[in-house]
Amino acid sequence: MRRLGELEAEIMDCLWKWGRPATVREVVDDINHRRPVAYTTVMTVATILYNKGWLTREKRGQAWLYTPVRSRAAYSAALMEDALGASQDRSAALVHFVERMTDDEVAALREALRSTGRGEL
Amino acid sequence: MNAAPALFGYAAVVGTLAPGVLVRSRWTQRSPSLAIGVWFALAVTFSLSLSLGALNLAEPGAHLHGLVYSCRAALGLGPSADDTLARAGVAFAVALVVAQLGSFAFHAVQARAARREHREVLDKVGRRSADLDATVVDHAVPAAYCLPGHRPRIVLSTGAVDLLTGAELEAVVEHERAHVLGRHHLVLSLAHALSWAFPGLPLARQLRKQAPLLLEMVADDHALRRFPRTTLATAMFTMASGEAPQGALAAGGQTVLVRLKRVLGPARAAHPMLRCCVGVGALVAPLLPVLLACPAGLG
Repeated sequence: MRRLGELEAEIMDCLWKWGRPATVREVVDDINHRRPVAYTTVMTVATILYNKGWLTREKRGQAWLYTPVRSRAAYSAALMEDALGASQDRSAALVHFVERMTDDEVAALREALRSTGRGEL
Repeated sequence: MNAAPALFGYAAVVGTLAPGVLVRSRWTQRSPSLAIGVWFALAVTFSLSLSLGALNLAEPGAHLHGLVYSCRAALGLGPSADDTLARAGVAFAVALVVAQLGSFAFHAVQARAARREHREVLDKVGRRSADLDATVVDHAVPAAYCLPGHRPRIVLSTGAVDLLTGAELEAVVEHERAHVLGRHHLVLSLAHALSWAFPGLPLARQLRKQAPLLLEMVADDHALRRFPRTTLATAMFTMASGEAPQGALAAGGQTVLVRLKRVLGPARAAHPMLRCCVGVGALVAPLLPVLLACPAGLG
């Protein structure tokens, strides 16, 4: 059994990819190209995403049409802001490779590298 | 004889003078894991000296074995402690321990919640890269970080993927993997907890400042086991200088500078003899307050 989170990601991926409102049936058909998945499972997870605030929906005939609340780029930008923001308590939650530097710091760094004989960096 | 003055004096030295000495030491950069061990040994020594000092002040002759007895007395379970000073001393010692443990639990849980929230979004937005064993997020600013702990993730932005070569990316991922495998987030939570429990104490302040840097050095060393120094150094420099960001900047540039100089400098760990002495010192330091308190208890 796959994780709930994976199916959530797959549903969001479909809707972002298409860039238009879609029904659960369309999503199920798309996922079924790769692997079998039950209609009711996708419907349940789509409802969860709706309740979590990731999707909006409107009734079209018998079926619900689902739309992402925000674009993938908007979520990515917010995610990176969370990760790279200068928040005080961030260090325990996310561990960075390097912090960003100001122009002055970069200049100082270049100077230091030159003095160690590695100016080609 | 009351050992309280000696214990408090020892705590004062460890809490205020020792950090300065350690910060100025050169060997810490060459053996960062040992340095982290020494920092925490100092923290344990400080707390222990303070607790035992308080107990001794309350009940001259109290020592570690007497702690259980004293607690029972304070709670009114055992033979009652006759004066309020004794109760205050015990209460102080217990409060000290509880404050530190509670603070650690609080910081660890808070960080964990922040990571869970972040991971929830990450898993939908990011794309798994099996080659790199990382999650890649569409974002122009070069970035690399990890979500350590339960269900860890290593995250790269597309900006970083575009900017770095294959080997450099692998070196970055290896560096982040060291954070995850080494449970470095718990060390950071401990450092946070200590600075919360003892605000203004030079030891706690310096530990909070030094621990992140030393952990980065540990992770750098881990990456250097598999990748050449120039690869890691180039990745660091490119990532740190890649794009001028808007808004507030963390004062992290100096950290990168120190790390880069270290990575490119001559490779040598601290002398084994020095490491041995420091290690023994780190083990003995916390025992000293116990020894100080015990003869007083026997006498």
